[in-house]
Amino acid sequence: MVSTRDRVRAAASGPSAAPPRRRGLLRARRRAGLLMVAPAVLHALIWIGIPLVAAIVLSFTSYDVLTPPRFIGLENFRDLLSDNVFRRAVLNTSIYTFFTVPVAMGIALLIALMLNTQLAGRAIFRTAIFIPQVTATIAVALVWLWIYDPRSGLANAILSFLGLDGPAWLSSTDWAMPAVIVVGIWQGIGLKMLIYLAALQSLPTELYEAASVDGASKFRQFFSLTLPLLRPATFFVFVTSVIGAFQSFDQVYILTDGGPANSTTMMTYEIYKSAFREFRMGYACAQSLVLFALLLFLTLLNRRITGGDRATR
Amino acid sequence: MPPVETSARFRTGRIALYLTLTAISLVMIVPFVWMLLTSVKTPGDIAAVPPRLFPTEWAFGNYVDALRAAPFATYARNSFVIAASHTVLNVLIASMAGYALARLRFRGSSLIFLGFVGALMIPTYTKILPEFLIVRFMPLFGGNDITGQGGTGWLDTWWALIIPGAVSPFSVFLFRQFYLDLPVELEEAARLDGLSELGIYARIMTPLVKPAFITVALLTFEGSWNNFLWPLLVTKSDSLRVIQVGLSVFRTENDTQWAFLMAGTTLATVPMVVLFLIGQRYFVQGFATAGIK
Repeated sequence: MVSTRDRVRAAASGPSAAPPRRRGLLRARRRAGLLMVAPAVLHALIWIGIPLVAAIVLSFTSYDVLTPPRFIGLENFRDLLSDNVFRRAVLNTSIYTFFTVPVAMGIALLIALMLNTQLAGRAIFRTAIFIPQVTATIAVALVWLWIYDPRSGLANAILSFLGLDGPAWLSSTDWAMPAVIVVGIWQGIGLKMLIYLAALQSLPTELYEAASVDGASKFRQFFSLTLPLLRPATFFVFVTSVIGAFQSFDQVYILTDGGPANSTTMMTYEIYKSAFREFRMGYACAQSLVLFALLLFLTLLNRRITGGDRATR
Repeated sequence: MPPVETSARFRTGRIALYLTLTAISLVMIVPFVWMLLTSVKTPGDIAAVPPRLFPTEWAFGNYVDALRAAPFATYARNSFVIAASHTVLNVLIASMAGYALARLRFRGSSLIFLGFVGALMIPTYTKILPEFLIVRFMPLFGGNDITGQGGTGWLDTWWALIIPGAVSPFSVFLFRQFYLDLPVELEEAARLDGLSELGIYARIMTPLVKPAFITVALLTFEGSWNNFLWPLLVTKSDSLRVIQVGLSVFRTENDTQWAFLMAGTTLATVPMVVLFLIGQRYFVQGFATAGIK
């Protein structure tokens, strides 16, 4: 990859030494590049650039959509500091991310390792494990809503089969969050597994042959070869999963409505409530900027710790 | 995997592997089996305590009733039109951008690429309010004047459902990674043959990254088909409702019509599972070459 890029760069450099025809070609190439990238850039400016700037501006205002925004300085951010529900949401989001991402990644890697063998019916297993991913979170959440139903749900049916009394999952302040986390893990495994599987399939086999010749055990090969070689994939999966987990909304919207007693409310859910139930757009923008700042901080921290990967460099 | 493994130990390992994978697969598909079975249960079976896995009476009529209870055909058509438009637009615009950023260096190209990477990190929820406002105050649409006042803009229109999602920075990013790996000789040879830059992109390079196209197309289609919050926010009328939002008609404050809900959910899910079954081979290949290896 790097060598290709260097070659492209080499081919594009040194226009002064090139004959006129070549210079014309280079100019044509630049013009083509600009033209081809223009639609995407224009779209991004309108639907990402303007919204980002607007969110920053609106966060300093009081705005209910019906009357024009009113500048109120830092008031929204001061309110945020004393907003206990939002603080709870930040905490909940962090707990949710802390439990779902590593657990789902671990399980996904294990499954990928198992599927990365010559196995009859591999496509069937792969599809079964990916099924939660291709289904709308809303549909998935609806099925889980029923699984967690205290009287006629599957979860308590299994528990009572084992002779245990199940809790009232989603209406219990103690069990609602774990219940939401289980759904998050279960749904997140598919895509992570697929990315790991793709990464495993492109690992160099020569290294493993050499390791086998040297008498390294399977166990040793995994920890000394596979894990380090998978680092870029792990970085990619981790960063995208954290960004995804911090923004989960659909599950909570359907499963718990943030309750009971705010025990499962998430940052995105609070933003949604401020904006579209209370019509406090300015406040919602301030909340969403906190979310953005947290994500930016986490991603940078991540790159610092893991050294990043060349794909995002 | 080395083929020299001796039989007995190898066979035990194999059996353990199959058992584990089968167990995991079952856990993953249980909610779907539950969904399928519930969709053909009678209200009596659904309320049964303890719950039964299989219905005592197969109520296939639930599907007919669910389809009659809400215009699901319209919802499905809307979802399909939106998802298909997003897929075509994304594949077209993002692949051109990704190609240009990977192969045609021009002043500002690395800055533009950095911009797209940065855009990946902006949460949907930071953008969604201003995007909603842009749609609401779109000048000269929906009775708005040139300053965007007086009407409803793009709210409750196809524009609002399709245009904002037409290109995603993630697609641009993925396409760039795919195009980066192609050999430069191909490009040079085509250029010597007198092909235009657009021709090289369309006729020479793009056919080589077919798995990438299928990957982006599948991800886009599924993401769009499953989108819930945006269509919920920007549409009001029944004729523009999408399937994910439409499902909520079976769930009210006091009463949920489980059988109909599950029948509707099944209808919304099956097309996505079929799509994945068809595209999964390319999907893994696509990710394998995405520069995340």
